[in-house]
Amino acid sequence: MSARIAVTRWSWRLFRREWRSQALVLALLTIAVAATVFGLGSAGAALPPGSAQFGDADYLMTFRGSTPALGTYPATEVINHRKIPVPGSANPVDLRDQSPTGALGRSMLRLDEGRYPATAGEIAVSARTAGLFHLALGATWHEGANTWTVVGLVENPANLLDTFALVPPGQVGSPDRVTVLVRATAAQFAAVHRPDGAEVQPRDSAGTDPAFIVLILATVGLLFVGLLAAAGFTVLAQRRLRALGMLAAIGARHRHLRLVMLANGAVVGGVAALLGGVIGLGAWLLFVPRLETIVQHRIDRFGLPWLPLLLALVLATLTAIAAAWWPARAAARVPVVAALAARPPQPRPAHRFALLGAVLLAAGLTLLAVNNPDRPLIGIGGIVGTAAGVLLLAPLLIAALAPVARACPVAARIALRDLARYRARSGAALAAISMATGIAAAIIIGAGAAQAASPSGGNLPDNELVVWLTPNGIQGPIPQLDAAQTARARSAVSLIAGLVQGGTPIGLTGGISPDARIESADEAGVSGKPVVTFAIPHRVGGDTEYHGDEMIPLLLATPEILQRYGIPAGSIDPETDVLTSHRDLSGYRLIGAGRAAENWQPKVQYEAGLPAYSSDPTTLITEHGLKALGVSPAPVGWLVTAAKELTPAQVDKAEQTARGAGLALSVETRPLAADLSRLRTGATAIGAGVALGVLAMTVGLIRSEAGRDLRTLAANGAGAGTRRRLTAATALALALLGAVLGTAGAYAALIAWYHQNLHALAAVPVEHLTGLIVGLPLVAAAASWLLAGREPAGVARSPLD
Amino acid sequence: MSVLEMRDVSKTYGQGPAEVAALRGVDLAVDPGTMVAVMGPSGSGKSTLLTIAGSLESPTAGEVLVSGAPLAGMSRDELARLRRRSIGYVFQDFNLLPGLTAVENVSLPLELDGLSGRRARQRGLEALDLLGLADRAGHFPDQLSGGERQRVAIARAVVGDRRLLLADEPTGALDSVTGEAVMRLILAACKRGVAAVVVTHDAQLASWADRVVFLRDGRVIDHTSPPPGPESLLEAER
Amino acid sequence: MSVRHALLALLAEGPKYGLQLREEFVERTGEVWPLNVGQVYTTLQRLERDGLVESDDAADPGPQKGFRITEGGEQELTGWLRTPPDLAAPPRDELVIKILVAARMPGVDVHDVIQVHRRYLVELMQRWTRLKEDEDGTDLSFALVVDAELFRLDSVIRWLDSADGRLRRASVEPAPARATNTGPLPKMRRRVGGRR
Repeated sequence: MSARIAVTRWSWRLFRREWRSQALVLALLTIAVAATVFGLGSAGAALPPGSAQFGDADYLMTFRGSTPALGTYPATEVINHRKIPVPGSANPVDLRDQSPTGALGRSMLRLDEGRYPATAGEIAVSARTAGLFHLALGATWHEGANTWTVVGLVENPANLLDTFALVPPGQVGSPDRVTVLVRATAAQFAAVHRPDGAEVQPRDSAGTDPAFIVLILATVGLLFVGLLAAAGFTVLAQRRLRALGMLAAIGARHRHLRLVMLANGAVVGGVAALLGGVIGLGAWLLFVPRLETIVQHRIDRFGLPWLPLLLALVLATLTAIAAAWWPARAAARVPVVAALAARPPQPRPAHRFALLGAVLLAAGLTLLAVNNPDRPLIGIGGIVGTAAGVLLLAPLLIAALAPVARACPVAARIALRDLARYRARSGAALAAISMATGIAAAIIIGAGAAQAASPSGGNLPDNELVVWLTPNGIQGPIPQLDAAQTARARSAVSLIAGLVQGGTPIGLTGGISPDARIESADEAGVSGKPVVTFAIPHRVGGDTEYHGDEMIPLLLATPEILQRYGIPAGSIDPETDVLTSHRDLSGYRLIGAGRAAENWQPKVQYEAGLPAYSSDPTTLITEHGLKALGVSPAPVGWLVTAAKELTPAQVDKAEQTARGAGLALSVETRPLAADLSRLRTGATAIGAGVALGVLAMTVGLIRSEAGRDLRTLAANGAGAGTRRRLTAATALALALLGAVLGTAGAYAALIAWYHQNLHALAAVPVEHLTGLIVGLPLVAAAASWLLAGREPAGVARSPLD
Repeated sequence: MSVLEMRDVSKTYGQGPAEVAALRGVDLAVDPGTMVAVMGPSGSGKSTLLTIAGSLESPTAGEVLVSGAPLAGMSRDELARLRRRSIGYVFQDFNLLPGLTAVENVSLPLELDGLSGRRARQRGLEALDLLGLADRAGHFPDQLSGGERQRVAIARAVVGDRRLLLADEPTGALDSVTGEAVMRLILAACKRGVAAVVVTHDAQLASWADRVVFLRDGRVIDHTSPPPGPESLLEAER
Repeated sequence: MSVRHALLALLAEGPKYGLQLREEFVERTGEVWPLNVGQVYTTLQRLERDGLVESDDAADPGPQKGFRITEGGEQELTGWLRTPPDLAAPPRDELVIKILVAARMPGVDVHDVIQVHRRYLVELMQRWTRLKEDEDGTDLSFALVVDAELFRLDSVIRWLDSADGRLRRASVEPAPARATNTGPLPKMRRRVGGRR
């Protein structure tokens, strides 16, 4: 016991006296821990919470029209909705009657100012609604036949972009939609008979469980900590080798020697966990307001997963100790005589571990492939296996550097030889860098893949808007404009295109059957003729019904549209009637074409270049088709493509402009949603930054060990140039290997993850990945070249004696 | 009984064509209270002899006994205990652990052996006092001069009841006057019954020993006879 | 040689008697070099003859006769102190000659010869060191004299070590053909030539 105290005391003293030499390792670990803490916070908060729609319910049932008779569930809450059209916009405001004390919907409401409406004639609005209708607290709002006094400003804390107005329960009037929140287990829910026409959404489908993401992130973070610590402690063990030999010579046992390194690991890990925890928490608290504006929902800044967080800090310390164990064991096993001479043990042949690495990698990828969110351990095992496999394969790559070295100039040769000779530390460093770049690559690739795998609720891409001639878009009657009206509409559209810095608006033309009668849409106050449309017929009782969200309007294949989507006119068969991006139109029936439709057998050509967004021109009718069907063209709107994704401010301005034209113009955009692309870009930048930081520190760590070499080099007349080249070559080699290995690992893991849905990975983000694989090494090399010019203070004095 | 006895000890490094014989059939016995110097040019196997005598390496062939106990067959931990209790080392340069004060360095073997911190410190202070370093007890190695560091190392090598002191060029980095003071200390330890082996290529250093063993190419080729009294010297001069 | 100048140095401190001179000489050389009275008086007579010291004419020759240094004696003393001993001419060292002979004599292992001398020298050094060991280091003159002897012996051992190494290397890798080099004589010439 007394021996252990003596050894531990020595470690502690050493740390206190030499913490500067361990500062790099400490800083690395602190950053890793801080990033993990911060990541844990953001991961839990970044995902749109299911409560935006569900509140505290498990199921959401939606009915068109009025409230049906419901079965008996453990708890239900009925909310009536009515659309309040917004002039100039195709996106209406949602009027709902919801109780702020509702059993299940309570968490969907928060009062920002004033009070909740209590009687008929009182209303509370969200900030966006207030902006759209120029309302303020105490103002009076005339909408159609209703007159309300605004008594409060409210928000949906789970979705700040939710544009709605709130009236007391039962005050909606005639609802066009009813949602029912239901709390029930799956068995309970299935046991009750559901009314016809109910659209049911279970809560599970609303997204991945944040806890799962947190767990995965924590695993990755701890692995990262472990790898960095292993690299750092290997260097430290090498630095301590003579002292350990000395200790052995005066009679310390192997476990005393191990204890020295383990105690050091515990001290460094503990200090790093503490510092990193504080820094990560601080950063989180500072970042929360910004994060709220990015993810557009309220975040409880103290609602962190405290227990997992605390556990992560404890685990980080334990990981550091575990990471110190291997170098400690290796250092304790060095023969005393070799240790006294500071001769490191012979590196083991790289191929010995390569096989194990390959097996682990394969096992990890297999686990990732069979992963499912209900069994998080499988996913974690997969990640750990993949990372461990990459770690064990890293020495093979490092060993491959040695032959390359022979052909290099002297500075690069020394750098590469050193990497190859001290494989234990450079292998761990490489693994850490691979991990950092791998995370960045996984975010870059994964973001695109996630988008491709589940194309996002909107009917349009986030950088497009369509100006329609009517508030109903292309559904319902389209008015015929005279020349003056057309000119007004055109100038409004040009104005809008200018606002969003878009290109030339592309005119959209529909087809109108000669048999069509003039119809009028009451609520929109327009009259005109409907355009021909594909739709799926539903038999309801004796009638046939078509649903608006299943309609595919046929737009004329004008040269501008074909050019916009890169379809050469020559690629279209002259006999083709319809071009479409839909794979299968067999369930659809042509409506609005009158009699001509019944005998029409269009020749349909699949065209992959056409977009899939349903408000985009997905399906085009050719001149040939137009003639065959005997319909006449009529303008229906304009498509404007902006340079970047549209901001809410631009959308508001565009709608004002549309209103100003004095026609019934409306602007359709993707429904405003939390814009996660900024978060992704940020995550990518942070990932690349962390990779760079890790790289800088590991290179510094490795080169700081070469102080003697530098002294010898300096004595032989090498100047700052050689030092620069030496350091730059080290950084370049590590960064390049790390980036390639990390990207390959990330791709392998994602391929395993998406193996049933590989086309999601089809779009390779070449630009970003090139930046990572080429840019990162270049930046690293340039930075080290610049920074290595200064003579290190340690050159004069050997670090050991 | 000899404190250290080496019987027909051989040591080879490497294998096949790279094989190098560092020691070939060395016999050496060191009695309590005597100092033996091992002289030889570089590469003659001096340091190997010392590391084998100190159980830091094991011989390829032959037998090593410390205080009558054969080292062969001892476990790693038993060897470590032997080093804590019976063998003291003094090296040429790197001797003290940075981060421990002089007295902590001296008492380290005792603490490793399980003695309580307080008592070990007491013994360490006594040993330092014996070498005239009591006032330096709280200093760290980098606050001590080269001679003082070597004296602390000797104090550590003899602290406790250690019978065998092994020194590898103990005055190598010191000037001759300071070196002489170090040799006097080792000699004083021998007077108290310690057996010492000093490895050196320096004849002046070796001449402090009771017996000088000449090593060449891993073999003991010669040794001096016990010297006659110094009076003979003056007569011889005439 | 040095006894003469040592007596002059003692007299430079002030007039002294013959017996007193002998005692102080022995004391100051650390009692390493014994000196008998006869030697002292012979030397003093020569010094007087050369006009470097003067004696009290009144007294009879004997222990009570006092001596003092003359002006010429003081000049001689300062001149001597600053004149380096003649180290330039190589001494005809018997050991060097022995090794040279042994190296060329068939049937003799020169390394054995070297080792015999080395052991003898080390034993000699051990005895000198033992003297130092018994003394506690307070007698400065004694320490200086013993050190001088030790360093001298040490230098001989070093020469033996280096000769040992050279001969060993020469036997392992035979020297390049020595067409012009037939014996020690050309070697000497070469050395002298090198000084030009």
